[in-house]
Amino acid sequence: MVSASPSQVKPQAVETALRLIARLDIKGANLIKGVHLEGLRVVGDPQIHAAKYYHDGADEIIYMDTVASLYGRNNLVDVVSRATEHVFVPITVGGGIRSVEDARTLLRAGADKVAINTAAIKEPKLISQLSDVWGSSTIVLSIEAKKTGDKKWEAYTDNGRERTGLDVGQWAETGANLGAGEIFVTSVDQEGTRKGFDCELVAEITKRVDVPVIASGGFGSLDHLSQLVKTAEPTGVAIADSLHYNRYSFDQIRSFCLANGISTRNFKSAADTST
Amino acid sequence: MTNFPKTRKINFAEFQTTGDLRATKYGLPSNVKFCKKCIISNQRPNSAVEFAHTTESKKQTIGFDDELICDACRVAEKKASIDWRAREEELRALCDKHRSTDGSYDCLVPGSGGKDSFVAAHMLKYKYGMHPLTVTWAPHVYTEWGWRNFQRWIHAGFDNYLCTPNGRVHRLLTRLAVENLFHPFQAFILGQKSLAPKMAVLHQIPLVFYGENEAEYGNPMGDADSAIRQWKYFSAPEKSSIHLGGTSIKDLTTDFGLEEVDLDPYLPANPDGLQKLGIEVHYLGYYTKWHPQSCYYYAVEHGGFEASPERTPGTYSKYNSIDDRIDDFHYYTTYIKYGIGRATYDAAQEIRSGDINREEGVALVQRFDGEFPTRFAEEIFAYLSIPEKEFPKASKMFEQPTIDMAYFNNLADSFRSPHLWSYNDGQWSLRHQVK
Repeated sequence: MVSASPSQVKPQAVETALRLIARLDIKGANLIKGVHLEGLRVVGDPQIHAAKYYHDGADEIIYMDTVASLYGRNNLVDVVSRATEHVFVPITVGGGIRSVEDARTLLRAGADKVAINTAAIKEPKLISQLSDVWGSSTIVLSIEAKKTGDKKWEAYTDNGRERTGLDVGQWAETGANLGAGEIFVTSVDQEGTRKGFDCELVAEITKRVDVPVIASGGFGSLDHLSQLVKTAEPTGVAIADSLHYNRYSFDQIRSFCLANGISTRNFKSAADTST
Repeated sequence: MTNFPKTRKINFAEFQTTGDLRATKYGLPSNVKFCKKCIISNQRPNSAVEFAHTTESKKQTIGFDDELICDACRVAEKKASIDWRAREEELRALCDKHRSTDGSYDCLVPGSGGKDSFVAAHMLKYKYGMHPLTVTWAPHVYTEWGWRNFQRWIHAGFDNYLCTPNGRVHRLLTRLAVENLFHPFQAFILGQKSLAPKMAVLHQIPLVFYGENEAEYGNPMGDADSAIRQWKYFSAPEKSSIHLGGTSIKDLTTDFGLEEVDLDPYLPANPDGLQKLGIEVHYLGYYTKWHPQSCYYYAVEHGGFEASPERTPGTYSKYNSIDDRIDDFHYYTTYIKYGIGRATYDAAQEIRSGDINREEGVALVQRFDGEFPTRFAEEIFAYLSIPEKEFPKASKMFEQPTIDMAYFNNLADSFRSPHLWSYNDGQWSLRHQVK
């Protein structure tokens, strides 16, 4: 077992490097995956997947208890505290965070950042409350966006089930103004389809806010990545399906980025460095 | 003379805490129980022969054993011990026997283009080399995404006949089914069950495939043991015994201004024609391990199937039964009549399939079951209204031909069974809830 302290392996702050993030949707004790955030299928043990992605060179891990709001619960504390034993890149946790107290519990358990969606939509000032306590770099606004028309998207809650009437672009702007240090946007239309990112959606948000923007939903081939970076300039991309089902590895993705002029963190896997 | 009053009298005394809890409607069991494995209650009616359905009908309900486990869960357990490879061989043999080599269709796949019929037709054609003809009985009112999914099905490589019934007749029959049986989905079910056998006779295709066996959801277990669908579901011997919307054909033609030809799409196929053709109706769920969620994945992968853009009111799901705008009301009425709403049906299925656990199912039911389906309500009320201009004769049978929220709610209350519902301080609540 290779052990490493966080400071040794954490990614360096390179302004232009695209962050490659593994997204793990969690339900109860299981890693799950859906299509359009629906038909949630049990994939396996989140710990095993997280450890693998860390070793393979994920810059960051995002745990989303996507059904926390749906079921009115929050189960991620255990998952997070166990993850901190073998994952030494930043961990973001989202799902079911309804108060400063909920956030505190998860941050104490080892999360580096917390992501909020449903609670922020119900009570936008929660964003400022959280960022007042921990600083905006700890607070991620998660947005589930569904296309409603030409360059128009509506924000959803409850894992892409509940409409809110909020315009995604405006909501991202409001969230950033209230103190969210990062916007994590999931395209419900593309999610789980492997048909490519909703680049227009991501571009709309990067155009409107100055904080980092992470694009999630739709990665299915390496070309999707260059298309996204070219047209929308996100700070990072979150990948789930392709990693969970071993369609692509971080190694392949990084090599592709290198060959195509997309700057990423210079990573050598812990296994390589130990030999 | 009107048959249907504007307001029905509700005896609220029956719904007090002290009410007689043995007073049940529809022959439901007076002692309410919930399956310990899934969450379905023993009030769940089995599929019935719809053209025999009248206000007097008594329901057969899902069986529970001594351990309080429902038949559907027992069927699901049995699935684990089935030799699916042997079953697939049976299917291959069946296909080999029927596969056409002369340019004709060799099997009929009825469906909507939802996830299940998508998989059925696609598998038969691309995996088993069959030449299916698909037939569709139209929903009352398509949702936009339902229509798109239907088109995607066809464009995944199938010929299709879409049968869309006369809108006015369909509305009237649906109104009658709501007034008599509180069953807004009945006209759809009638046509759907009748269409496939008739098309089989018309096109001389004896082999008919459906996706899943109704026994999966709690019909008598005996049904699942034979792949061949029982005749009673789709044929009837005597026209005089047939009721549509709980109304006899004689009344429909004398009192409601319909002609016999208007009723043709709803009437069951003639058993003689079926016998002569030697029709065989098979369920793919008998031959392959049918998993609704996997069907969704398959349909997305092979046809670009889309989930609905929001969860269906009354439940959390957005991948099943999403093509008819009246569907929201179908499950709302089952909630009123049996205390079982859409979330219960969805969660029970997903628990049996191993997609969610019972605790999650209970949480989903508590959150969503019985939610009033506001999103299409105005449209559906207009659909159910029978204005004189369009229905000169039938409209006279209704004291208030127009349906609005107050009318609908009063009607709903008249279908509540005292053993299920209590009424206190102006609020309805279920006496028994799944825990």
